[in-house]
Amino acid sequence: MLDNMFQSASYQASKAFLDVAAERHKVLASNLANAETPGYRRVELSPSFDNTLKASVANGSLQSFDPSEMSFVEDQNPAFRSDPTGNNVSEDQELMLLNENALRYEALGQFASGSLRQLKTAITGRSS
Amino acid sequence: MDIIPGLSQTASALDANKQRLEIIAQNIANAQTTQGLDGEPYQRRGVSFVSVLQGANQKGVAVQEVFTDETPGPSVYNPSHPHADGEGMVRMPNVQMAVEMVDMISASRAYQANLSASKISRQMAESALRIGQ
Repeated sequence: MLDNMFQSASYQASKAFLDVAAERHKVLASNLANAETPGYRRVELSPSFDNTLKASVANGSLQSFDPSEMSFVEDQNPAFRSDPTGNNVSEDQELMLLNENALRYEALGQFASGSLRQLKTAITGRSS
Repeated sequence: MDIIPGLSQTASALDANKQRLEIIAQNIANAQTTQGLDGEPYQRRGVSFVSVLQGANQKGVAVQEVFTDETPGPSVYNPSHPHADGEGMVRMPNVQMAVEMVDMISASRAYQANLSASKISRQMAESALRIGQ
């Protein structure tokens, strides 16, 4: 019964996406760090993993989500143009994505807090 | 799992770019040095960056080597200069101020960008600590 307390789909989803956002932050930070390393190719969350994640959110099967299945690949998106050395990192783009990802992380954190607060209210019978 | 995500890569980039700035400062300082310890005019130095693996998909950056630019510098006619040769020509360093300034701007921009990334990492760690409050 106690296990079931934390099984609500939205709480599970916020947990999974927090993991993804934290890992993605590390990868974006290394892209930015290598903005001027000759030949470096930017790394991004693999599109196939992104799709599986979206699918499992849609059909509510996130209980089986395993953060270690997360995979990152070299970005094939032609929107990121390469310089003569083959490096396709753009500092501005990377900073923008970092900010966006951090905001998403913050929002997910708030959401998880909200779920926990609701649970606490249900247990104690009074708010806050 | 680190408490503050992505900090080691950002730190390595800050360090590498600081080394790059130091080398640029050295080039500018020696832009008029016509005789170094080896008796030759100063030759500009540069750094080359290389990725270092710090975990799955996480690459930091490091200075691979500090190389010497071997292009010959210009010779100017100045017979009164103590380093002038028999024909009154002085060999000058191959430092070009415009190149160094542009390089300096891009190094300090890269430093600033990584500094903002470290700020973002910190904010994320703080928001993680607030979960449940």
